[in-house]
Amino acid sequence: MPISELIVVIYHGIIPEHLTLSQWSQIVRVLRHQQCLARLNWRLQQLGIDIKSLPQFVQNHLKNAEIIANKQKHQVHYEAKELLRLLQPYTAKLLFLKGAGYSLANNASVGHGRTYSDIDLLVDKASLPDVEKELALNGFFAEDLDEYDQKYYRQWSHEIPPLRHGSRGTVLDVHHNLVPLISGRAPDINLFFAHTQTTELGYTIFKPAAMFLHSTVHLFLNEEIKHGFRDLTDLGLLIEQYQSEEFWRELVELAIQSNFARELCLALRYTNKILGQDIPASVQTLLLPYLPGKMALRYLDFIFVRVLRPTHPVFSDRKDQLAQFLLMTRGHYLKMPMPILLKHTFWKGYRNIATTLLGSNFWDKAEPDNNKDVVGRQ
Amino acid sequence: MTFSQQFLSIPPFCFELSTDVPLVSKNIRNIYPQSVINSSDCPDYFFAVQYGNGLRRIIRPQARFFSDQHEPFKPISLDCSFALLEWGMNWCIATQEMRFVIVHAAVLEKDGKAILFPAPPGSGKSTLTAWLAFHGWRLLSDEMALLLPGSQTVVPFVRPICLKNNSITLAKSWFPDARFSTIARNTHKGDVVHLSPPAHSWENNRVPAQVVAIVFPKYQQEQPLTVTQLNQAQAFSALAENAFNFSLGGQAGFETIVKLVEKSQCYEACYNDVAELEEFLTQDVLPYANI
Repeated sequence: MPISELIVVIYHGIIPEHLTLSQWSQIVRVLRHQQCLARLNWRLQQLGIDIKSLPQFVQNHLKNAEIIANKQKHQVHYEAKELLRLLQPYTAKLLFLKGAGYSLANNASVGHGRTYSDIDLLVDKASLPDVEKELALNGFFAEDLDEYDQKYYRQWSHEIPPLRHGSRGTVLDVHHNLVPLISGRAPDINLFFAHTQTTELGYTIFKPAAMFLHSTVHLFLNEEIKHGFRDLTDLGLLIEQYQSEEFWRELVELAIQSNFARELCLALRYTNKILGQDIPASVQTLLLPYLPGKMALRYLDFIFVRVLRPTHPVFSDRKDQLAQFLLMTRGHYLKMPMPILLKHTFWKGYRNIATTLLGSNFWDKAEPDNNKDVVGRQ
Repeated sequence: MTFSQQFLSIPPFCFELSTDVPLVSKNIRNIYPQSVINSSDCPDYFFAVQYGNGLRRIIRPQARFFSDQHEPFKPISLDCSFALLEWGMNWCIATQEMRFVIVHAAVLEKDGKAILFPAPPGSGKSTLTAWLAFHGWRLLSDEMALLLPGSQTVVPFVRPICLKNNSITLAKSWFPDARFSTIARNTHKGDVVHLSPPAHSWENNRVPAQVVAIVFPKYQQEQPLTVTQLNQAQAFSALAENAFNFSLGGQAGFETIVKLVEKSQCYEACYNDVAELEEFLTQDVLPYANI
């Protein structure tokens, strides 16, 4: 059985007998790459698997991942409290999205063992200048960008350039919409603002249906998927925990209203195909008009079944690489109108050629400050 | 471009390393004993050291370090490639291995009793480490002490000793027969050479030891040996400053450091002669320590 299939089996709480240490080593490698070690640790415990019955090697890595994830959760609570205090006076809406949102949700299974590299915020667009100013006053600054990238963010994007805290290193992505404006797919954000909830500790996050749809949109409009299995299991876990008549109704309604029904079809298709998640027949019927045609589906299956499996570049074959390439072209095509896409491709292509010729650090502006960012090199 | 692949069993971890840089393979064969370079099919971490791409392969060639798919550092000039691997290993363990409380410290053991030497760079820690390792002490760690949470047990992580600048000449004159790596010049630490510890340390690289004392060494050229006993609060804060993953470990990390300080003798030692300091450790510290 290929490693990716073994991982899906283990994810469902079945530990195949006679796994060799070499197989376990590969499994841990893939899961670490997918940022899923801590999630698996939590899930196996939920499913009643005694972690101590696993080989010591596996226990070690699950333990390490668990400690890191717990620490991150603490950190996010700390940052969220601070952000709420700083920004509440300046914006009518302040939502924590994706990873941070999962961590802050009351006991959401999707928030356990979930790790991420930045905190995503959604604010109303009118308040962006004030929000940005207040964040800068409190140590969050954008990193150096060239003019092209600055323009890309300001004109076409759904977010401002990432902000990094000077001393804590926390990275914030501040959004005013869920999808780049240039794509022509950006929804009326008020549709989503109507689907929010407040957690026990006072943070605003999406309700499960909107959370699911945002995850879906993010995954299926992207040109690059690094942690496909993690993102897919986000969807699977949200369904497992929150599915109810109300959840499905809200989800389908919101997807149709915001013109993301097609993406919702795909999300449900692959949680079913890869994770075996059951989708109610009534939901499938409602979405039937939005399902891509047969040929399109074959093409999409070729891409998404490959990139959403628990994979790792070392184990990928030519078809996997082709899938990644097709995903990239598809993602760009979905996000940008053709003239702008051509311009963008030309500019990025020029940089890539220069990189190939001159080395990948040609564009770096200055020598790094080695002493600051590296543990153990002081 | 041919990549050689090898396994490094450096207890308590196993690494897979692939590299196309001959300098890296050459230094590994020189520094690590055969017992470490072996075949294993269960690596914990996967490293690669490879040439920088593009024209950088030919003009002022560079080496790059990868921990699986991740590149934590900027490329560095090719002569530093082996040092880059050693730092990469440190980085990987310090950021991943949370089941240990990791302190930036050397650990050496004699008569079954281990002493922890936490110190910032420039304190002469590595010179002292090298001296002790070649004078009857067993090296457990040069830079990273791996403590089991809630105990005084140090798990050995035996790797070469990282010598800088003047201490390179000194060590080469002290131990002319020892195995030294090639020189990595002009790194952020200055010139760097790695020194392979004696066979005794390698052979016992799976044998843990109990910490009985914590000594903060401070090399001062003009000053003869001056030892100050530290109270527990002083020792705690000095030790916490040198803990890599103190905050990550949370409660467990905190309690481990507290317990360690409570159960250990704690000193600050200003010295200009390693032999004199060694005499103090052997005669005045070890005999009074109970395990």
